Amino acid sequence: MRKILSALTILVWLGGATAALAAERWVHVKVSETGEDGERVRVNIPLSLAEKILPTINAHKLHDGKVRVDEHDFKEVDLRALLDAVRTAQDNEYVTVESKHENVRVAKSGGFMLVKVRETPHPSKKEKETGAAPKVHTVDVKIPFTVVNALLSGEKDELDLLAGLRALGQYDNLELVTVNDEDSSVRVWIDTQNTAE
Amino acid sequence: MTPKAIILQGAAAMMLVTGAFVYHVGAVWVDVREKKPGGDHVRLVVPAIIAPVAAMMVPKAKLQEAPAELQQWLPTIEAATDELSRCPDSVFVQVDSRKEHVKIAKSGDHLVIDVDDPGETVHVSFPIRAVAYTARQLARSAPPVAQRAGM
Repeated sequence: MRKILSALTILVWLGGATAALAAERWVHVKVSETGEDGERVRVNIPLSLAEKILPTINAHKLHDGKVRVDEHDFKEVDLRALLDAVRTAQDNEYVTVESKHENVRVAKSGGFMLVKVRETPHPSKKEKETGAAPKVHTVDVKIPFTVVNALLSGEKDELDLLAGLRALGQYDNLELVTVNDEDSSVRVWIDTQNTAE
Repeated sequence: MTPKAIILQGAAAMMLVTGAFVYHVGAVWVDVREKKPGGDHVRLVVPAIIAPVAAMMVPKAKLQEAPAELQQWLPTIEAATDELSRCPDSVFVQVDSRKEHVKIAKSGDHLVIDVDDPGETVHVSFPIRAVAYTARQLARSAPPVAQRAGM
């Protein structure tokens, strides 16, 4: 009897472990606008759905799961060179690009690429009158380097979105993008739940 | 057994089979209610089998006239509906504002779209399989876009 119970326990445990491994990944997007008329948007998409649909879309710059990126899309910034610099840098070492109103920091930490953008907009008329400081816009992106490598696995002038999605499916819970400005907040993350709340 | 009884039994059997078939394939539900006083309320239930059957009955020559955009998106529609059939129930898109609420969700084997705005409420529910059937039928019957471009 004891052997049977032990065998059943092991089977239940294995079944649970298998189910956990096979759990569907969901991509969630949450956009919240401030103000009385602010809009709230919630999107929940299973990763498998995106993987199945993406190769079938052939429109504009998107073909077979790859998107063509023109040089001028990044305003003279060599994206691959920047990512290579980060990839070869030590952990927690930042590559910083600064301008008068924008500060972009890219770093590597624990197998993730971290992008932090801090933008100080021009003060509005009201802010000039009151002397209030404009709210800083923040963008925080955290992408596993396995996903970055997958995105860049295609041709020089394209991003392999399909490969990136497949690489993303290896992670159970991951905060990908957080954006905050004075009007709205955006959050993009991946987990194994089919609801955003 | 009288002829009348035979006819009635046959009709009852036919209704039973039809009802079972429609239940299996599912139905498209449309419910539109205007919010103004005395507004219209339209409620429609249509067996979903109508869509793929109608697609089969369209002459192939007519399918060549289908908009290029529709043919371009048929593989995407087919892939999406096939995968949606396998997904668990979930709310895919929800938009809430002061004036409008929109929700697109999967419930069982149906895709459900609900819209609530100041003027009306709209509820549409249709079997996901029916979209897949219709998309496949159209895709099989229509010539490829490349061939159309060469014609």
